[in-house]
Amino acid sequence: MTAAATTVDRRDVTRLPGPVAAVVEFLRTMSRKPVGLIGLIGVAFFIFLAYVAPFIVPLQDQVDVTSIYAKPSFLHPLGTDFQGRDVVNQIVYGGGDIITTAILAALFSTLIAITFGSIAATVGGRIDSVILAITDVALTIPQLILLIVIAAIFRPTSFFALAVILALLQWPALLRQIRAQVLSLKERDFVEAARSLDLGLMHIIFREMLPNMRSYIVIHFIIAMTLAIYAQAAIMFLGLVPLSGRNWAIMLYFAYNQGALFFKDSFFYLMGPIMAIALFQLSLVWLASGLEDVFNPRLRS
Amino acid sequence: MPVLSVRDLSIDYRTRRGPVQAVRDVTFDLEQGETLAIIGESGSGKTTLAVGLIRLSPRSARVTKGEIRYDDGKRAFDVLSLDTERLRRFRWADCAMVFQAALSAFNPVITIWEQFLDTGRAHGMGDKHKVHDRTRELLDLVHLDPDRILRAYPHELSGGMRQRVLIAMALLLDPRIVILDEPTTALDILTQRAIIDLLRDLRAKLGFATIFISHDLSIAAELADRMLTMYAGRIVERASVDDLFYRPRHPYSVGLMRAVPRVSGALGSVASIPGSPPDLIRLPRGCSYYPRCPFHVEQCLEQDPPLIPVDTPDHEAACIRWEAVAAALGSDAEAPVAEKLA
Amino acid sequence: MATITPAQGELQIRTFQRSPLSRARGHLGGLWGRPITQAILKAVLTVYVTSTITFGLIRLMPGSPVEIKIDELMQQSQMSYADAAASASGLFDINLNAPIHEQYFEYLGNLVHGNLGNSFLSKGTSVMSIILSVLPWTLFAVGTGLLLSFVIGIGLGLIAAYRRNSLLDHAVSTGGSIISSVPGYLIALLIVLIFGIQLRWIPITQMRGAFSPGITPGFTPEFVGDILFHASLPITVFFLTHIGLWILSMRSATLAALEEDHVTVARARGLSDGRITTAYVGRNAVLPLVSQFAIAAGAVVGGAVIIEQIFVYQGVGLRLVASVNQRDYPLMQGIILMTTVCVIIANLVADLLYSRLDPRIGRAGGATGK
Repeated sequence: MTAAATTVDRRDVTRLPGPVAAVVEFLRTMSRKPVGLIGLIGVAFFIFLAYVAPFIVPLQDQVDVTSIYAKPSFLHPLGTDFQGRDVVNQIVYGGGDIITTAILAALFSTLIAITFGSIAATVGGRIDSVILAITDVALTIPQLILLIVIAAIFRPTSFFALAVILALLQWPALLRQIRAQVLSLKERDFVEAARSLDLGLMHIIFREMLPNMRSYIVIHFIIAMTLAIYAQAAIMFLGLVPLSGRNWAIMLYFAYNQGALFFKDSFFYLMGPIMAIALFQLSLVWLASGLEDVFNPRLRS
Repeated sequence: MPVLSVRDLSIDYRTRRGPVQAVRDVTFDLEQGETLAIIGESGSGKTTLAVGLIRLSPRSARVTKGEIRYDDGKRAFDVLSLDTERLRRFRWADCAMVFQAALSAFNPVITIWEQFLDTGRAHGMGDKHKVHDRTRELLDLVHLDPDRILRAYPHELSGGMRQRVLIAMALLLDPRIVILDEPTTALDILTQRAIIDLLRDLRAKLGFATIFISHDLSIAAELADRMLTMYAGRIVERASVDDLFYRPRHPYSVGLMRAVPRVSGALGSVASIPGSPPDLIRLPRGCSYYPRCPFHVEQCLEQDPPLIPVDTPDHEAACIRWEAVAAALGSDAEAPVAEKLA
Repeated sequence: MATITPAQGELQIRTFQRSPLSRARGHLGGLWGRPITQAILKAVLTVYVTSTITFGLIRLMPGSPVEIKIDELMQQSQMSYADAAASASGLFDINLNAPIHEQYFEYLGNLVHGNLGNSFLSKGTSVMSIILSVLPWTLFAVGTGLLLSFVIGIGLGLIAAYRRNSLLDHAVSTGGSIISSVPGYLIALLIVLIFGIQLRWIPITQMRGAFSPGITPGFTPEFVGDILFHASLPITVFFLTHIGLWILSMRSATLAALEEDHVTVARARGLSDGRITTAYVGRNAVLPLVSQFAIAAGAVVGGAVIIEQIFVYQGVGLRLVASVNQRDYPLMQGIILMTTVCVIIANLVADLLYSRLDPRIGRAGGATGK
């Protein structure tokens, strides 16, 4: 995955087993540009927080009317919400839904983009024109607005359904990129060879060309995740989806609508989810930027 | 009085592995109106030297020592000592440079006329009409139609046309020196011919001195009065055109001559020089041509041979074995080498 | 891959995709010579497809809004199915008895005349008039914010490129990267939260709405000042959301332009640094950004929704949320269409602008084109 190492020889690395050495090398390349490493750490932190932490920290769900919007204290490091529940606890439990949905949405949109992008590029001709036309139209319609209307009409009741909807709105961008890449790869020798050996279309796409586009796909997956989070948070904040749960975006919705905005003490009730979402987005973006450097050695100055 | 006197010029590039000594102790004179050709393979330092003369090297380059003395009879100074503003005025007005890739030498979003105007204005030619007249004059000189050319954008012109425009622009301010860095490399043979004839023509008419950088020996032979051979950043031979072609004395020059295929020759008469140039960061001790030289001896490794006069005082070579080279070539050296120019 | 750190999600990838050249050349196999014909054709196609999609959304999906309305009417007003259907028919302005394709054509026919139907809630008010009354506010705020961010952003990007790796460069690039990664509405919330509530620097309650009640509209300085006062926060947010993109885009475009041969030649020609920066580096670097700008303008209309919600700014975004909450389907439909039209217009402008500014595109003549 990483390009040929340009580092001075480190004999210790070569003594480690293959995969471990690759990881070490990867980390070392990432650490050259701090942005990527910080992103990696951030993403790792949030994933840990969202998926592992709930097993460690027990859920505190009881409504406690006596301590609404309590100030931050040792017991409640970020204060409490409008029903007296601990904010930190909610943040811990709040990541899972959002991140899972984002991953699913990114996965679906990537799959659609890869499939149709490669087909469009390899088959060419009218199918290509049709796919491109559809993509262009899809790109033109303002995503968020369409999302809002679709969400209002279809009222997704599960996060899975939401992920599907999100994916349907995100594939166009990646599809164009994949198509462009495949178009350029199409002319390369190894594709010629595969074609002359009469290996089927699917084989050519998935076994020959895709491995060359791994870097694109990974980076775009990450960016698709940021888009999915952006969209999710947007519609949940507007209260347009009948999804319950305790994720960050819904926290924001409640915080905003329950007037947490106007109490000085409830500052962290709002700041908590805001910072969580913002920092996670930042981490993803920085991770993508760092990966770009890893995959594209020419960019390293 | 030579219009350009370069003394011990050395230019380094800063890289992560260490400084690359691209140009080492280069010394030469350029007389008024003469054409000096600098030949050598890729990486010999020719282009670094050329851009270094007008101090246009990239940021990572550094002049470590030397001087570049300019003297046109009215003014004299060391180019290396000029401040930014005086350097800006020196460039193009006193010494112009025609680059290798004329294809992208022009700003793609403004017309050719505007670029002439820019050039004129930058050097104090405030009157648009004056610039216009001079431009038309020059475009005529290079056999282009001013009306069509001036209105056009760079991408609308062919490669040959752009090269001519660049040459015309170079002469806008009547410089005393014109440096040409591989001016015909990117062009087809017919256009090459046209450009070479044009250059000869212009030189006769306007009398500027030329420094001609090329790896194409035949062109150098046509246009040059004197020649310099560069290898690994140093000048290894300095001679008149005749002397270099008929009586090369440095093994590298001999190799270059032999490497040119003969039109009339039998197959197998071409010999490339085995090996590759040395690493300019970690230069070996002694003569840098040693590994590839068929004439080398132990003594060659002791120190970098200085340029010493051979045959005549105007002919110098950086080789302690030049007599052996001369002997090897012998009297029939004249024949094979000269044949190549036939 | 772009070396730009992704900014507002939609915008970043979206703009990176659209090479006006690629769209102008299109894939109709060169049947239509002039790129502008193709662009218009594509615009019409997009409007058509969008309107069909909205038609489908409202009419054809199982559990479609029409059916829901009919159910509602039957339950709430105890109407029979026929009556409810008739009522719904009037509300949606469609003939439920006619076959689907007839309804479709009637719908399209209405569209061509600019008739988007009537709003559910404000009966008798056409959707078009509602949209036209709120759209200008959004366009004003978005446009001003975007313009400011563009102008300042490319300035900063240029400086950052010229002072590459200096402290200024690092500060500007990192700052731009951070700001552009945070979603716009979070920035808006942060502004309200921190500056409005906690620090009380900004009188946010006074700034709600597009203009203060009681001030008569007109071109008076008083009114204009009031508008600006109310729009200042949304404009600030739009400014902040996009400035990162311009800074980073311009920075990398400038760095690329500086590497170009013609810049070296320009220096060899003894041109002044000022002239080189503006006409040789600047103009070439800005070129792709100009078309990006027009495209951004089109795309950001979508993102304005939440920001208008937060600042209670009566633009089209606020209306959309209201219409969703009130199940005002014709209005929702109309808003989708109109905003798409905005994006289309913006893209057309982008294409036009680019082909005007870059002489290499769209000029027929010349000995050898590129």
